[in-house]
Amino acid sequence: MKVIRMKKIAIIGSGAGGLITSSKLAKELSKEIKNEEVSITLYDKKTEQEFQPGYLEVAFRGTDPSKIKKRVNKLVNPGVNMVYENVEKVDLANRYIRTEGSDKNRDFDYLVISTGASPDYEQIPGLKEANRDFHTNADKSSLIYNEISNIKSGKIVVGIGGLPYKCPPSPNESAFMLDEYFTRKGIRDKVEIVYVTPFTRIYSAESISEVIEPIYKNRSIESITTFNTDTVDPEKKEITSLEGETLKYDHLFLTPPHKTAGFLKGSEYSDEDGWVKVDKKDLHITTYDNAFAIGDTTNIPISKAGVEAHLEGIVVGSNIIGDIRGTDKNYKFTGRTQCSMETGFHKATFVVGTYDRPVEKIEPSRMNYMEKKVMEEIYWSSLRGHYEWLFKYHFKEDYFQD
Amino acid sequence: MATFNVNSIGTACPGPITDLIRAYKKAQNGDMIVLVANDPGVVPDAKIWCERTRNEFVSSKDTGDSLEITIKVTGKKA
Ligand SMILES: Cc1cc2nc3c(=O)[nH]c(=O)nc-3n(C[C@H](O)[C@H](O)[C@H](O)COP(=O)(O)OP(=O)(O)OC[C@H]3O[C@@H](n4cnc5c(N)ncnc54)[C@H](O)[C@@H]3O)c2cc1C
Repeated sequence: MKVIRMKKIAIIGSGAGGLITSSKLAKELSKEIKNEEVSITLYDKKTEQEFQPGYLEVAFRGTDPSKIKKRVNKLVNPGVNMVYENVEKVDLANRYIRTEGSDKNRDFDYLVISTGASPDYEQIPGLKEANRDFHTNADKSSLIYNEISNIKSGKIVVGIGGLPYKCPPSPNESAFMLDEYFTRKGIRDKVEIVYVTPFTRIYSAESISEVIEPIYKNRSIESITTFNTDTVDPEKKEITSLEGETLKYDHLFLTPPHKTAGFLKGSEYSDEDGWVKVDKKDLHITTYDNAFAIGDTTNIPISKAGVEAHLEGIVVGSNIIGDIRGTDKNYKFTGRTQCSMETGFHKATFVVGTYDRPVEKIEPSRMNYMEKKVMEEIYWSSLRGHYEWLFKYHFKEDYFQD
Repeated sequence: MATFNVNSIGTACPGPITDLIRAYKKAQNGDMIVLVANDPGVVPDAKIWCERTRNEFVSSKDTGDSLEITIKVTGKKA
């Protein structure tokens, strides 16, 4: 009798990238899983996931944080073994991982790292004491709404505190949503909104900058470009730039620079800041063809955003399936970005581009805003792999390259 | 004095400027940043960036398949 050794797939991180990858694999390999030829294990100590784009709604529209949370056991495919533990060591050469506090080696044949990115307050002295952000979690985001609800007048500073960070349009969105909030409240003339960015223009990609610059002017939102935040003095309520310029604020909602998961720093397969070095098309980790990284944790020079994590997960999942089944198909990620940017008052634009096509110029519209809302509605089901037909239809040749 | 070699080959706007800003954060006055990229937009972008941050745009060189930009860090507060 021929004995087939079970192929073990390990996925680290049950966020946007990890969930879609595990769903795709579990759906398509259901027969192999049943026959014990394949196992899929997902590692993450979180028992609840959050719809991160919803942090903006929580922070600037007062949405209840509980509305954007979902229990992980409701999201994971039954074919996947969920281990509620964080990983603290990955040995790619010897093909094993270890979870926190355990000395047991858990071996794998294929590995997918999707551990995301999170705010790194260490990089900017004083920022933690002075700032409230909408990038850490839903509960922290709700502190912003508590704060703005009590503002009668004053100067609010928002913007990019450092690079990289996830969801490139989100600092701009915070400026537009604050403008909408105080306009509706009838006190916009008493509140100054200032947007800072280290880039030379309001949005890093010129085409989008051209679209949103007039909105900044029309809505009297001040912008300060080429501003490199260095330190913050919470007592004096003052930001100092690397060049020594200072900026006063009454309320500070800066987007902090982000960091990777701790275990990646100093590893041979990450860059000096801990971002995992991958091939930007097939996403394998440098010299390992059985290990991959997707989503915010990679060093790929595109936006850190959920749509990208999703499309990358589909590419990696498809290639693992192909390898297990012995087909020689090799799918590639096209570098497609699709970040929505809400411009306030029920309008939005999108930041759309690929590795080969520069970012398009898309005017804000209600239709775009509705598309963003549809995405919100289908988000959780899409992570279970229920909407791949829609993704394929929408992204066409950018879905993946084969 | 250190030299920061930044390879932004294969990245398009805003990739090279993102890499430049990240290297700048770690650099000190007197250090050099050598940015290699193949996005043609990087030269005017880096010039404007230097002007506004009061850093010195030393040179840009077209090596055929890439562009090499050298910047001297001079703009940081003491
Ligand atoms: C305000 C805001 C607005 C956004 N808007 C949009 C938008 O409009 N469109 C869009 O596409 N994207 C948007 N995003 C970005 C999007 O949410 C992320 O890019 C996406 O979640 C990335 O997926 P990921 O799998 O890489 O990381 P995540 O979804 O962050 O998941 C990472 C997971 O890894 C786990 N993890 C970390 N370390 C370990 C470890 N050691 N062991 C095990 N597990 C670990 C974490 O617990 C987490 O669950 C937004 C984000 C924010 C904050």
